[in-house]
Amino acid sequence: MPERPGGSLAKRPLQFIWIVDCSGSMQGRKIESLNLAIRESIKPMQDVADENPNAEIFIRVVKFSDGAQWHISEPTEVHAFKWSDLDAGGMTDMGKALTMLADAMKVETMPQRGLPPVLVLISDGQPTDDFKGGLKTLMAQPWGLKAVRISVAIGEDADLDVLQEFIGNPEIKPLVASNVQDLVKKIKWASTVPLKAASNPASRPQGATNGGSNVQIPAPPADAKPTSPADVF
Amino acid sequence: MNELLSPNQVVKSGTGQPCKVIKFLGSGGQGEVYKVDWGGSEFALKWYYQQNATPEQREMLQRLVSEGKPNDKFLWPEDLAFADQVPGFGYIMRLRPPEYKSLNDLVAGKIQPTYIALIVAALELVKAFRSLHIKGLAYRDISFGNAFFNPATGDVLICDNDNVATNRTTKPCGVLGTPDFMAPEIVRGEVQPTNKTDLHSLSVLLFYIFCFGHPLMGRKVSNIRCWDTPARTRIFGTEPVFIFDPGDRSNEALDKQRDPTGEAGGWALVYWQLYPKFLRDTFTKSFTVGLRDPDRRVTELEWLNTLAALRDAVFKCVCGSPNFYDPEVAKTPGAHPALCWHCKKAVKHPFRIRIGKALVMLNADSMLYPHHMADARDYDFSTPVAQVTRHPTDPNIWGLKNLSGAKWVVTLPNGKLKDVEPGRSVPLAENTRIAFGRADGEIRY
Ligand SMILES: Nc1ncnc2c1ncn2[C@@H]1O[C@H](COP(=O)(O)OP(=O)(O)OP(=O)(O)O)[C@@H](O)[C@H]1O
Ligand SMILES: [Zn+2]
Repeated sequence: MPERPGGSLAKRPLQFIWIVDCSGSMQGRKIESLNLAIRESIKPMQDVADENPNAEIFIRVVKFSDGAQWHISEPTEVHAFKWSDLDAGGMTDMGKALTMLADAMKVETMPQRGLPPVLVLISDGQPTDDFKGGLKTLMAQPWGLKAVRISVAIGEDADLDVLQEFIGNPEIKPLVASNVQDLVKKIKWASTVPLKAASNPASRPQGATNGGSNVQIPAPPADAKPTSPADVF
Repeated sequence: MNELLSPNQVVKSGTGQPCKVIKFLGSGGQGEVYKVDWGGSEFALKWYYQQNATPEQREMLQRLVSEGKPNDKFLWPEDLAFADQVPGFGYIMRLRPPEYKSLNDLVAGKIQPTYIALIVAALELVKAFRSLHIKGLAYRDISFGNAFFNPATGDVLICDNDNVATNRTTKPCGVLGTPDFMAPEIVRGEVQPTNKTDLHSLSVLLFYIFCFGHPLMGRKVSNIRCWDTPARTRIFGTEPVFIFDPGDRSNEALDKQRDPTGEAGGWALVYWQLYPKFLRDTFTKSFTVGLRDPDRRVTELEWLNTLAALRDAVFKCVCGSPNFYDPEVAKTPGAHPALCWHCKKAVKHPFRIRIGKALVMLNADSMLYPHHMADARDYDFSTPVAQVTRHPTDPNIWGLKNLSGAKWVVTLPNGKLKDVEPGRSVPLAENTRIAFGRADGEIRY
């Protein structure tokens, strides 16, 4: 005989999407350490889900180089998610990737009720296509507007203005990864902290304004101290 | 991000003793927590992120350390900690043993404690926050994440005590609370956390424990597509309505037919019907008048009386599942007790004893405590003074055994007087009266 009628809190789905630059400049060590960084982020993301009785997390991946393509198109529950390595080569068609995202953010294709989506854009260069047009299409979707948008710049050549524009909130800056360790660290942060904030906001510090955004994101980690020059991309 | 400190690193406590890092335990919004060796015993050390290591925080902690913990349920800052090589500071507290589970695990359905353990946990939480409030302090961040309990016993531990401050302090506070638990006036940005806003958070916590849902999440959430800060501000701050508000059905709980997700109070609706009216009334007061008027919130003492009465009201159906005796139903002519929530059959009430205002169900495993015996209730259920027992040779006869140090004087149903010495029992029979010394009881059936 059961002690209580049972039950558990209702969960809202949260759509998490990585948007990854796979252009030619990512070839070699960059794409390799990115693959590792995302692989290492999955367990912490599962932990976020486990600690949170209100959210069910689904992951997808978009890659862009010459054009854009779903790398993992099926929203996959975080515990069932498996990373398969990305390869690099080609142009930087970031605008196309954002247009694809806009399709995924359509009200008809999104769940009826959900948590704010989390979109993490990772890039090392300059868009070679119509970035502004792509961003506009994305932001025309209510879920695109509501999404928490985070970006990670890899190395010196990344276009920080573009990455900032993607975020759309002056109080949140793109994370800049200047070496391999740093990339792993920043990707881990970008894949867990905004996720936690969007799904189950923790104690709210006094005076947190976050530029009028709909989700309060804690400050990112301080930049790593310079390590060996051999480490720099 | 992680690992501000590394294993074997030695930091110094405020009193100058070395404190050696054993391992990283986890990170939170304000810092990281490590297991450490301090004076030969294991403790937990919370080290703040640089942006959180403010002079105000340090001053607050210093005050908490000298103040001392309100009761032993708090993982209170025992001492500050500093390091030569690392900027900022931390504080040392007791370790939380692994058998203590987060209330998150409870509402996620990952642990299945008994009803008594749940009620004990609720009582312990209220007692702990009461002892803190009595000291003139406010906790300011009551939420799931900060309360842990042992599902086997109901014992509780309260973490994250670094936001505790003098009630109504005018100093800027570190946190405003956890959104789902914040009082409406904080969500609206009108006030800072106080012991009155703590009372709201405490009621929300209790509602989660007993009803598996949020008291303000009903029909209105089912119309919200994106659950974010503006949505929370509306539901918890600017338009809050209790899902069981008798005078306003605009946010009523929706059953599984009307809301298959269960988000709009589906489980709360199932649980609500299980409880005696006195518990439902206390929640209703909390989330109607108390929602709007911080001065009319249910006090800790009201909660203690309600929860103690709830503990006394638990009885087992013949199927074995716990149900609750509702004195209101018993008093109402023509009213019938609800069917057992599990086997759906009519329930059979056990013997019960009336002692002063308390009515205690005498289940096969029930105990009576000093709490039941005097007007000065202490809400302590650790050392029993009486226990229901079975007759050694005739299993159909039940008795109440004297576990106290003094004899009871019993008036049997036939009017005869009888002494019941410590260790002896009196048979359970209707109209038996027991003079316990500090109080008189009467057995009912
Ligand atoms: N006294 C303790 N004993 C054992 N583990 C602890 C103790 N205090 C905290 N922890 C663990 O350390 C981690 C971080 O704790 P912390 O209290 O900083 O985080 P939080 O509650 O998530 O965040 P916040 O401080 O923003 O409320 C958590 O996994 C927590 O369970
Ligand atoms: Zn039954």
